[in-house]
Amino acid sequence: MYISLNWLKDFVKIPTKIKPEEIAAGLTSHTVEVEGLVKQEEQYKQVVVGQVLEVNKHPNADRLRVTLVDVKKKKLTIVCGAPNVAVGQFVPVALVGANLPNGLEIKESEIRGVKSEGMICAEDELGLGKNHEGIIVLKENAKLGQLFADYLKANDIILEVDNKSLSNRPDLLSHYGLARELSAIFDSPLKPYEKFFNTKFTFLSAKENKLEIKVEDKKLCPRYTAVQIDNIKVLESPAWLKERLIAVGQRPINNIVDLTNYVMWECGQPLHAFDAAQVRKIVVRRATKGEVIETLDEKERILIESDLLITDGKKPLALAGIMGGRNSEINLATASLVLESANFLATSIRQTAQRLGLRTEASLRFEKSLDPNLTPLAVKRFLALLKETCPDLKIASALVDLNHAPDKKNEINLDLSWLNNKIGQAIPREQVVNSLKKLGFTIISDANEELKIAIPSWRATKDISTREDLAEEVLRLFGYDNIVSQLPVATLNLPELNKERLLERKIKNILSLKYALNEAYNYSFVGADQLKKLNIEFFNYLPLANPLSDLQTLLRQSLIPGLVSNVKTNQAKVDNLGFFELGSVFFNAPGNIRKDATTEDMLPYQEKHLGLVLAGGADLFGRLKGIINNLLQMLMSRATEVTFLPLEIIPGWADKRMAAQIMVGSKEIGTIALLDTVSANNSNIKKPSVLAEINFNVLMGLILASPSRLAHEASKYPSVIRDLAFVLDAKILYNDLKKELVEFNPLIKGIEIFDVYSGDKLPSDKKSLAFHVTFQSDDRTLTTGEVDKIQTDLVAQIVNKFEAQLRDF
Amino acid sequence: MKNKLEKLRADFLQELGQVKNSEYLRELELKYLSRKGELSLIMGELKDLSVDLRREVGELANKIKVELQTRFEEVSRQLAEGSIKKELIDVTLPGETLADGHLSPITLVQNELEDLFNSLGFMILDGPELESDYYNFTALNMPPTHPARDMQDTFYLDHKNKEGQYDLVMRTQTSPVQIRSMQKYGAPLKAIIPGRCFRCEATDARHEHTFYQVEGIMIDKNINFSHLKSLLEIVGQRLFGAGTKLRMRPKFFPFVEPGNNGEYTCFLCQGKGCRVCKYTGWLEIVGAGLIHPDVLRAGGIDPEVYSGLAFGFGLNRLAMLKYNISDVRLFNSGDLKFLEQF
Repeated sequence: MYISLNWLKDFVKIPTKIKPEEIAAGLTSHTVEVEGLVKQEEQYKQVVVGQVLEVNKHPNADRLRVTLVDVKKKKLTIVCGAPNVAVGQFVPVALVGANLPNGLEIKESEIRGVKSEGMICAEDELGLGKNHEGIIVLKENAKLGQLFADYLKANDIILEVDNKSLSNRPDLLSHYGLARELSAIFDSPLKPYEKFFNTKFTFLSAKENKLEIKVEDKKLCPRYTAVQIDNIKVLESPAWLKERLIAVGQRPINNIVDLTNYVMWECGQPLHAFDAAQVRKIVVRRATKGEVIETLDEKERILIESDLLITDGKKPLALAGIMGGRNSEINLATASLVLESANFLATSIRQTAQRLGLRTEASLRFEKSLDPNLTPLAVKRFLALLKETCPDLKIASALVDLNHAPDKKNEINLDLSWLNNKIGQAIPREQVVNSLKKLGFTIISDANEELKIAIPSWRATKDISTREDLAEEVLRLFGYDNIVSQLPVATLNLPELNKERLLERKIKNILSLKYALNEAYNYSFVGADQLKKLNIEFFNYLPLANPLSDLQTLLRQSLIPGLVSNVKTNQAKVDNLGFFELGSVFFNAPGNIRKDATTEDMLPYQEKHLGLVLAGGADLFGRLKGIINNLLQMLMSRATEVTFLPLEIIPGWADKRMAAQIMVGSKEIGTIALLDTVSANNSNIKKPSVLAEINFNVLMGLILASPSRLAHEASKYPSVIRDLAFVLDAKILYNDLKKELVEFNPLIKGIEIFDVYSGDKLPSDKKSLAFHVTFQSDDRTLTTGEVDKIQTDLVAQIVNKFEAQLRDF
Repeated sequence: MKNKLEKLRADFLQELGQVKNSEYLRELELKYLSRKGELSLIMGELKDLSVDLRREVGELANKIKVELQTRFEEVSRQLAEGSIKKELIDVTLPGETLADGHLSPITLVQNELEDLFNSLGFMILDGPELESDYYNFTALNMPPTHPARDMQDTFYLDHKNKEGQYDLVMRTQTSPVQIRSMQKYGAPLKAIIPGRCFRCEATDARHEHTFYQVEGIMIDKNINFSHLKSLLEIVGQRLFGAGTKLRMRPKFFPFVEPGNNGEYTCFLCQGKGCRVCKYTGWLEIVGAGLIHPDVLRAGGIDPEVYSGLAFGFGLNRLAMLKYNISDVRLFNSGDLKFLEQF
């Protein structure tokens, strides 16, 4: 939002020694951020008034002209594309070196072979409007060689105020509101706004009044003020009016429209002027479903029942609080107008503006809850200003004012000792009182330590209602920078450990620092297409109501799709890839976290998963199993039994031959599998990829339940290692054989598989598994005979149980 | 017997003198010194001698064995040194290329903040990313009419409550955990809440619909504004260096009153002004304020007895500043070339 410093100075007297930069800094520190400060004359540096002396055809381009322009000091050759350029015109000329408001930098150049020593400017290039049809032709009063800023009388300073952060301050979307803040910040007097419309106007009496107005929905329209004015002339606005509007970035149109805008920029109240010839009467009502209005921007808007319309009883005249209708627009023939100054319900305006994608200066203000008391003031101010351009104006109605705004009494008690405690230091009483008074608050009583304070209507709509709100007013004017910092003194206590977070951190460190995997952060949203390619069912996935794109419509239930896309993104960059992600997944079933404190309803079930992927390289399945095994043993203990068992339900994306469930003891904690060819092809994955997904919450539970790690003394006696290889049916699983070996005798301290073979030397349905078997006792040296005996019995049992044969090396 | 030993000694030493390479040396070792070598054979014969003779020859045999082994090791060592001396070693060659893994910069910055606040006695808390409308908005003093609830800002789940309104959201802030933790722990309370948040807005180099925040709360009797200011100052000094200054400006957030933002001295230029701080010397980093009494009430804490402060950082922004990252979309891109730098 652009704010004119000259305009502010109409209302507040700021000592001249305070520089514009200090004014901006004052607003930033105490009220709202001023993002920029622009001196108009600097905007037009190197732009002067010139006169066109010659207009000639361009030798190489039909649409271009070569002009000779006198800028007093010299005569310049300028190539110009505007169709309206003509000999004798006074025009704004940007000289070489000018930096124009639209960002253009003027350099000496050659245009289609002809040298051009500057530019004759159009409206948009000088930030004076959006027009780029032709160059600006200046009035007769332009002086040759004059600075363009002087011609415009542009000596203003423009403050760019961050209005995004003003969502609680409708009063600040106006010059008067900001002037009020400045008067408080710099302790300067503020002129009462009433002084600016003390011209006497006589409205018709209720009896004489013929302007019929009806508000059907008093909730959506708490106040509607209007007046009919006859005998007006629609003209170009006077220079002062245009200057002000240009300063705030509003394009001047005609005296009537410009004045409605002027009053809005000045006091914050949007006004709308209807051509009275088109308005029999005014009825404010909700739209019917499907009703259509053509707005001023020449677009047809289709409405629903919650939209509010200004109508003439039948046809719509305006979309309330947002934009006027085409049919009742002020035009050059308009001789009589109806001026609307109304207050609309913020939420209704916001919803309609939002739905239609139509945000205007008016809707911007209404949707922040404007002060209903503004409506009659704005009408009077408009009339006072209109008198200047239409001295013969005639008021043709009563000042119709249908006020249904609730008349709230807004008073707050402010205990000064409470205030000082809240801030952490004592603020002098007179400073508190003065700050609040300057901001328009009334001190009703200030007996003792407690002040009774009335809130002004412009702060009462939704901004200020508690003593904390008042504390902020006092504090911000006192200045945050003036507060003395003081660390809180608190009782020492032991913060509860977040074991989940500690575990997450440990896992991330092990996987990245030890196993060289990279940490991915993938989106929580997935798309149907992505899941289809991976053959994942998604009928039960939770959908978003308002997804940003088709690619992200559902809440993920698995980290696998994200990891597959990580492979896809990077597969061309490196040979071997490894990623992991630790993130939340979401299910369509009630979980264990309450929706709110008053109901038994639960949020959808959410848990964290750990996903891993390896792509490219040899024996990925074995490697990832190894990583998982070691990770889990590091998290629990070396003795933790991690096994991989055949999967009963195989995920759609998994290769059936190479898919297993990950077990810790007897608890299933996840899945590991090779991405199958179909899914890989569909998803454009060029490298073999093995993926695993572990339920972090289950893992967490296991870790919390696992006994603490106890060291035990290593045996002093030597171990004996024997190598055994068995040939057995290929269907027999390692895991079953291993179990048999380990559990056979307590003196068997460990087994380690060192060879798996199937091939030429064996029948096709057979495989060979070879183990190092370690025998050891904690209390003696084992004799050869003792070991031989166990080994013989073991072999016999394996041969018997698995129909295996002992294989010779 | 003695002669046999002497001959073996002479043969061995003679052959040892001719050793040129390690293969030959190994052969010698097998021939004479191994378990089945000639020396062992002779020593094996000792058991057939008379007791006296066995002692005499035994001593000699052991003496010779020690001598031969010593000489063997000498030659073996010389050979090893000799071979090293022969070839030129380029010590500037690089070491083996080993695979590296990398943590996300978000994780790194989050860890840093967690450690900082943990050292100040703050708990680290977490909450659901899929939240109820109640905890995400209503309990935080954002009634159903608040602009932040507009569809453009919030991802709603396609699920309506009995009143026909969307009642589940992807949390737009970590603040719902404020209420949940107040309800769980009561007052006094010191906690930070790091986590993933969502806003329904189009992504570009500076906007991301999925991002990370860390927010902190401290609730106790008599928590006041000067405490907030002081706490933010020390956080800034820890994050950006000892000389870091804090500047506070008023800013509206519905869940605090008074509310403010905090700017720290730009750590890149030490406040002199640079590209990163847009030549202001300051970086806007934190939003903060005193917890609104309605928020305390929603958390079941009596605002007449307790007061609280709250502050929040954007983790993405902190990571972008710290590591000079220019595009916020990189965090969720899974791009290895990006990740490899951390």
